[in-house]
Amino acid sequence: MEHEDAEIDDAEKAVNASLALDSASLEDLREVPATMDAFLAAIERRAWRMAEIHLGNREDALDAVQDAMLRLVHHYSDKPAGEWTPLFWGILRRRIVDLQRRRKVRSIVVGWLGGGKDDDGDELPQWEPADESPEPSARLQDSQAYADIVVALRKLPRRQREAFVLRIMEGLDVAETAAAMGCSDGSVKTHLSRAMHALRGQLEAWR
Amino acid sequence: MSQHDQELERRARNLYLRASRDVDPVIAGRLRAARRTALARPHPSTARRLLLPAGAFAVLALATLMVWQPGGGPPSPTVVAQPGDNEPNDLPPDADSADPALYKDLQFYSWLAYNDTRPSSRK
Repeated sequence: MEHEDAEIDDAEKAVNASLALDSASLEDLREVPATMDAFLAAIERRAWRMAEIHLGNREDALDAVQDAMLRLVHHYSDKPAGEWTPLFWGILRRRIVDLQRRRKVRSIVVGWLGGGKDDDGDELPQWEPADESPEPSARLQDSQAYADIVVALRKLPRRQREAFVLRIMEGLDVAETAAAMGCSDGSVKTHLSRAMHALRGQLEAWR
Repeated sequence: MSQHDQELERRARNLYLRASRDVDPVIAGRLRAARRTALARPHPSTARRLLLPAGAFAVLALATLMVWQPGGGPPSPTVVAQPGDNEPNDLPPDADSADPALYKDLQFYSWLAYNDTRPSSRK
């Protein structure tokens, strides 16, 4: 237990250290625009990328971001601009979870209707919405590396993936990450520590 | 914590930021449209500010309608029938309590009763 706590603290220190490496880009990330329009314009593409990492589908990711934008504007426009960031990520996270659950239910229904097995009794792949768009990571200079990290992240349990994406990739602090995830600061650190442990193993090639 | 972990975090973040910057133009256009749609919708708090007084007014009007009865003034007090009023007394007189002397002047009382029921004859 003590060992795990020490590891969590180490992970937190490492996060802070790594964040300091890219302080310029993080300052850009953390700067909250004064207007809602500017805030959404600054965050929309990252939000879509994050939704795509979680959902694995471009259209679903777009739906999730659009819904999160609507909800933020409708319910939280009156809040101070400094609170928009964790609120937005929290809304988007819940929307992503909703879509994942809906997809799971759809898979179960397809299974009940006989879609679960073929004529030989072999398991069919789970139903997934078609995504016929060209893979966007193919356009990236580091496309393979990005594809690797996305694959590794999708293998993580959902809460660990959320903690890593919000805390490390999006650069939220622990309190903001906890607010967006709807859990305590300690839980964020625990999820993050476990995510780092798993990713270390999966991304050995990055050494 | 190792240098490897720091490098992993830095690299993951840079890849994510770069991928976000290089989003497909079609997706970028749809995100822009989604943002405009979200911002163009009427603010619900404005609607709520209008709806709340309207709802209160509707409740007040309904309550007024339920209390107010058209054409009705204050309800008239209930008239309690008193013995000895002008109501016709259908019961026969109590023989035990009647004065026996009355029977001696029955003709007089008949005449009196007859004339009492004919007011026009006294004019």
